[in-house]
Amino acid sequence: MSDSEKWAWWTLGVVALTIAAYGAFFAFLGHGPATSSVFALLALTALPAFSRRQFQGPSFDEREREIAGKAQMAGFGAFWLAFVGVIVAIGFVRGWSGTLTLPVWSLSEIICWAWILVMSVQSVTTIVLYRGGAHA
Amino acid sequence: MPSQEPEIKNQIRRLRFEHGEMTQDQLAKQAGVTRHTIMALEAGKYFPSLLLAFRIARVFSAPIEQVFEYRATELNL
Repeated sequence: MSDSEKWAWWTLGVVALTIAAYGAFFAFLGHGPATSSVFALLALTALPAFSRRQFQGPSFDEREREIAGKAQMAGFGAFWLAFVGVIVAIGFVRGWSGTLTLPVWSLSEIICWAWILVMSVQSVTTIVLYRGGAHA
Repeated sequence: MPSQEPEIKNQIRRLRFEHGEMTQDQLAKQAGVTRHTIMALEAGKYFPSLLLAFRIARVFSAPIEQVFEYRATELNL
């Protein structure tokens, strides 16, 4: 298994752990800033960046770069789809001239969910492309 | 119905065998890529860039067309 695949599985594991922790906190504490604190777990996704290989010079060859690029595009593509979908949905539900009042913790939570979406799609795409795309 | 996708076949596995049973890892190091990329090339899951194709051909001291073979499809390109 390549380092990129290991990173993808690790990231999916961290995402699953974060969602599980969020669910547990939500059940006991309800929706609020205390529950949002579980998103600190997402920092664990940075751990592979400190792998030994990272410090051994150029770590990606052309195929790995190609896969990383496609995975990144898929991740941010998913983000844009979700972003447009949410904006349009809010517009229809609240009216295009409506206003939203959000607590700051809620805003940071939205950003964390968006980050989870990007990383999850990126990881799944990485795994799928390594498993066998004809040109991956 | 034949595939419309152009196909590039390669002889890397055979050439490795003919070069003292060179391992995928040895070839990868000499070509400047990872072993996973050599595995993907041999399995036909990845088409290399022209640069990598030349590098691999140079490792085997062979002309590029001896390592990679382009098979024209019905697109006839």
